[in-house]
Amino acid sequence: MSNEEDREVKQREAGNRETARLWRAWRTVHELVQDRGYILSEAEVKISLEDFIHKFNSGDGNIEKNRMTFTAHPSDEMVARYSNPVTDRDPKPAAPDVGPIKVKFEEGDSIGIKNMRKFAQELTQESFHTGIMITSVNITPAALKIIPAVASETRIETFLEADLLVNITHHELVPKHVLLSKEEKSALLQRYRLKETQLPRIQVGDPVARYLGLRRGQVVKIIRKSETAGRYASYRYTV
Amino acid sequence: MATSQKPKSILKKASYPATTTSKEDRDRDLALYHADLIQQRKDIELEILLATETLIDYPLATAPYDASNPAPADAQTFKYLLRPFQPSDYDALILERNINERCGYTLCANAPRKESGGGRWRMVGKYGKGKDFKVVDKKELEKWCSEACAMRALYVRVQLSETAAWERGERGENTVKIDLRDEPKSDGDTVVEGLEKLQLAGDDSVKKQDTAHLALERGDRGPAARIGSVDVKILEKEIQRVPEAPSLEDEDLTERLDTIHLGILEHVGRESRGQKFTSMGSEKKMAIKRHPQRRISDTLVGYDLTLI
Repeated sequence: MSNEEDREVKQREAGNRETARLWRAWRTVHELVQDRGYILSEAEVKISLEDFIHKFNSGDGNIEKNRMTFTAHPSDEMVARYSNPVTDRDPKPAAPDVGPIKVKFEEGDSIGIKNMRKFAQELTQESFHTGIMITSVNITPAALKIIPAVASETRIETFLEADLLVNITHHELVPKHVLLSKEEKSALLQRYRLKETQLPRIQVGDPVARYLGLRRGQVVKIIRKSETAGRYASYRYTV
Repeated sequence: MATSQKPKSILKKASYPATTTSKEDRDRDLALYHADLIQQRKDIELEILLATETLIDYPLATAPYDASNPAPADAQTFKYLLRPFQPSDYDALILERNINERCGYTLCANAPRKESGGGRWRMVGKYGKGKDFKVVDKKELEKWCSEACAMRALYVRVQLSETAAWERGERGENTVKIDLRDEPKSDGDTVVEGLEKLQLAGDDSVKKQDTAHLALERGDRGPAARIGSVDVKILEKEIQRVPEAPSLEDEDLTERLDTIHLGILEHVGRESRGQKFTSMGSEKKMAIKRHPQRRISDTLVGYDLTLI
């Protein structure tokens, strides 16, 4: 085999590997969006590698990342879960804090303030409630500071492609996490006569919390398998 | 034996004023105070972020200005915006500028140098003296457009304060004054700067400095002292009677001196205490007489002083 042929084969393989990585990240992020309660069809989520290549192929064997952007709307069930309960003190509660989501695969060797600012502007202009930015490299620390600065307008989350190659919630050792609605949360606290701070805690930066997009103050129910009790439920308060 | 009259307390009456605020009020004030600190910090961090965003696109002026002769306006804004920066924030700025294909020095409009070829390391100073020879990361070289710009940028970096801006306080002496390696070369600007340096209202700054030193000596540092959560009032103790010098002729005093050592003169040697001041009497008299001008209000303390 000549040197040139060898290089070609290597290049093709690298391209294939890159394509496969993107496909896996694409599937995981679809599962993530679906698990959070947004509406996505099964066909969209369970796309095969061939279909994926066919859809986003740029012609020279590479995948066009900027075409991989997709959006989704929250399901009624999700809206209900995020809604604020009607109470005596608050007969007309505020609208639930959820809305359409936009997922973008950001290109580039380095993601700086400019990229992040542009994404935030995009989200605000197109009035997306949440945005997920997926990058292949780390985002600069200064760019990450944009996120809290624009938090009042839009909610930005970032993931690395490498973190999305496998869906962590499908792992055997990761128990099922279910987000409780505000009503369920108050029922739980009343049932056990607890203050919310007396619950065990989970951090916002926890991988599963990031996967589910948990916010400070929410409570998740964690259902584990137990050899003795069959199923064992515990609750964690997001801090 | 129940009497209507309350028994008189033998305890001392509290002479200090009772705290007027309730615990809730104090807790609330404390919480607000800390919330205020955090808010202050957040504000400064946002300010730094916005300054970084602005400075990415600098310099605004084009030719004939360049890095060695920046536009006065640009240089002025650059210095102004850089005040709250820490060196780490400055590094972040350099990184952001490089991402946007600009030289790391803010007042330079060129693109950074691109090192051709693979490999991570580069040799620097191959043709100079041996001590100049270095092997450096390629990334370090790709931050700047030239050696001169690297010098200029790092010249600014070392002048930045390591202290975080929210911990610097509002006192003038902590404001960072930044000089550029290559200041703008226009006369008007130099004159303005020279005027700024002139201390026309010198008294005010001196006073500020003195207050700062006093605060440091007292040990009240940081914003706690500034907003007055520590309320210290110093009152002069009033003395009615005329101060008089101590004298050993006074019978009363010698009597008291026999016992006083138990209390305050612990540091006086054991043997001198045993002598009951017979031999030392004259010495002490002399010691006191030697300072007749000293107005000693408290005889005992005065005695102690002269003894030492």
